[in-house]
Amino acid sequence: MVYDYIIIGSGLGGLSAGINLALNNKKVLILEKNSLPGGLVTTFKRGRFEFDTSLYDLYDYGSEENSGTIKNLFKKYDIDIETIQAPLNFKVKTENNEDYEVKGNIEDFILELENLKNGSTESLKEFIAITKEVHEALNKLKNNFSINEEEYPRFNKYLRMNVIDALTDINMPKETIHRLGYLWLYIGSPLNKLNFIDFAEFMYKFIFKKTYVLRNKNLDLILKMVNKFKEYNGNIYYNEEVINISDINDLKLIITKTGNEYKCKHVICNLSQRYVYKNLFKEPNLEVNKLENARTLSMNGVVVYLGLNKNHSNIGLNNYKYYHFNNINSLLNIKNMNSLYHNIWEATVPNVVNMNASPNNTTILVLKTNYYDKTFNITNINDYKKIKEDIALDLINQFEETFNIDIREYIEEIEIATPLTFSRYTNNVNGSMLGYMRLGYDNSIHRLISYKDEIQPKISFVGGSSLFGGGADNAIYSGYYISKMLLKVGDNNE
Amino acid sequence: MNNIEFLRQERKDIIKDYPSKEIPNTIVDDLVKSINEIQYVIVKEIIEETKDTKSFILIPDKSKGTNTLEPFKAGQYISIKMFIGDTYVTRAYSLSSSPKDAINGIYRITIKRVEKGLVSNALLDDMKVGDGLAISKPTGIFTYNKIRDEENVIAIAGGCGITPFMSLAKSIIDGIEDCYLTVFYSVKTENDIIFKKDIELINKKSKKVKFIITLTREDKNDYLNGHITKDMIEPYLKDFNTIFMCGPKELYKSMNEILNELNIPRKSVHYENFYTEYTPLEINTYELKILMKNKTEVITCKSNETLLVSLEKAGIKAPSLCRVGTCGFCRSILIDGKIKTVGESKPKALTINDYIHPCVTYPESDIVIRIDI
Repeated sequence: MVYDYIIIGSGLGGLSAGINLALNNKKVLILEKNSLPGGLVTTFKRGRFEFDTSLYDLYDYGSEENSGTIKNLFKKYDIDIETIQAPLNFKVKTENNEDYEVKGNIEDFILELENLKNGSTESLKEFIAITKEVHEALNKLKNNFSINEEEYPRFNKYLRMNVIDALTDINMPKETIHRLGYLWLYIGSPLNKLNFIDFAEFMYKFIFKKTYVLRNKNLDLILKMVNKFKEYNGNIYYNEEVINISDINDLKLIITKTGNEYKCKHVICNLSQRYVYKNLFKEPNLEVNKLENARTLSMNGVVVYLGLNKNHSNIGLNNYKYYHFNNINSLLNIKNMNSLYHNIWEATVPNVVNMNASPNNTTILVLKTNYYDKTFNITNINDYKKIKEDIALDLINQFEETFNIDIREYIEEIEIATPLTFSRYTNNVNGSMLGYMRLGYDNSIHRLISYKDEIQPKISFVGGSSLFGGGADNAIYSGYYISKMLLKVGDNNE
Repeated sequence: MNNIEFLRQERKDIIKDYPSKEIPNTIVDDLVKSINEIQYVIVKEIIEETKDTKSFILIPDKSKGTNTLEPFKAGQYISIKMFIGDTYVTRAYSLSSSPKDAINGIYRITIKRVEKGLVSNALLDDMKVGDGLAISKPTGIFTYNKIRDEENVIAIAGGCGITPFMSLAKSIIDGIEDCYLTVFYSVKTENDIIFKKDIELINKKSKKVKFIITLTREDKNDYLNGHITKDMIEPYLKDFNTIFMCGPKELYKSMNEILNELNIPRKSVHYENFYTEYTPLEINTYELKILMKNKTEVITCKSNETLLVSLEKAGIKAPSLCRVGTCGFCRSILIDGKIKTVGESKPKALTINDYIHPCVTYPESDIVIRIDI
């Protein structure tokens, strides 16, 4: 049996690619190393709590009237999920006395930014208009790999600028740039290195498509995707970890840990290119190594999942998100993230937007902190369990002190995930959560316009470590986009 | 050149000048690679604890590539994989030694004979010093957590349920965990006390750990008598307490009533899913069809045996680890048939989508399942 496509990994990217290819009558096999699909996006149970991992917000989903890319894709795939629109509801505090709260919609955010710094509104409105143009230009670019630059003057003007330079150019006050840019935390790059186009596209979704959360658990979405994939005659095997990829005649030969062999015309990896070339190929690829040496891994992190035995409003957890930064400046924050214990973290309370998040009169609180590069540097496994508890305790203490909310006494269940957990479960290099850092010449925009130059025969990459970077919507879209490109090439050959 | 062309060329030029040497592993990757999911060990010593219980001291089998043992937290278990007859089986056993010993290459497991127990009998009767075993890395969440749990810990143990608490006691004495522990240990007679010498020594020496033994079928001085009661526990409670329980189902049932009377909040009680036996009204034999990756097999199963046991008896090498429906290692899909599950814990989305854990699933009709092996 020769498959048209074998997909390694059943994360959002792999599943999305699998569904699209199977929908187009290709013979597709997904190989998943775990006994559960989903990769980073899954659900686990502790006591009476079901904790979701990684995916909390969809930024490119949208409403029925104003649908985003992911909603459109799910319609195409015939996947029906229940979502809830989550209004902006977050609190920010920093070590240098920033302290503000935003509740409502984007207009409320603008009002608060104006309130914090007079003279912000005009530039914010201009920025919003620019994001729209950027989004349109990008859509064209994704399809044609070129655009008429005169047609999109502002896209063209800011294409070679970083976020700070571009926003300064539209006279946005410095403080407002940083406050607006707090979502760098989900992109993973400092605003002075992040390309403006990448940022504008992210903000376009955030502003125009709003935030949606899943009414049910992550695993519910994942299993719906798996079931749809199977319905389109796709095949998925669990407990099959790929250990080698090689060429045999015109085909790719895939060998798994259990000793099984599979053949396909083209392999799609829901894994980072770095992992695949380091671990699955016998021979190094010098061109790939150059690219890998030229890029930087994005952050990994520690996540503390807490099940609390009281209703969130009775505890005083009234915001959906809480952020604590060292400084409002993303670059200074990243500089301050160079130790296991630092003061840059976020908290999510899913119950504030979704009453189904946990049983009645209980609350889920997820604390997360991030690290770059070698900061999570435990070398002795014997120290690991103690250090991870110490980090979790530090985060809990910081949260209690910063926001003056007692949580410790309500903790019924606790689980702690670290870069080791994510690495073991997903094979993501360094346990990275957002793939490669979107920096300098390796922002998503650069990867996109170089897609055709860097294409490799018979192998493609999807998921958070591929074209569009980390985040659930990017991962889902990457699976669709790459598979669409492959189908196009296939059609041309026939 | 337009801007897009410029960026394309710039990226090309920059990457071109980078070295093509292989990228080294990160610290995280190296650490993950060093974790042995399967550990090979040798039985170094066998200790007769009671007439039906033995402890096995395990050390790494360097000849098979296991040089050190994986660290663990008191309360975690390992799973033994072995061939018995021509059947491939696994069983989970809590580690009863100190986590400190693991760093020095020593595990201890303590095994009580189970009537007709395939594995316990094989281990107790046939295992000799020098024999080799394949075990999983330690896993499980029945552990003391300094963030969640209180400083005053009350442990309730029945029979062989003492093993994780002996590990916790040693962990406290070795300075790894920091809490005060009182273990109420219920056994039938004095001769059934496992770790008797250890317990006496700890009671004499430790200021933080105390074992209180009660005999349920024998009256003897030096011990409490009868089942564990509210009055026995009450004097050891502080304002805030954490309760751990490990033992038979009946113990949990009676203890839950007592803990309710003592106003112990639900969040403070943790118990190990240790026993998941189930006795059906009648014993029937059914057909079990197993869809695997490359083949289909049909075997028989019985209403008083889990599907996992039937698979093992038929020599089908199905994955398994905890055997109490929590680890998810044996996860399979029920295609057809009626089932009864016991003591299971899994997300709702799995139940809705017909995922089952064969280790805690009993058949109530002919069954078709899919396992990716």
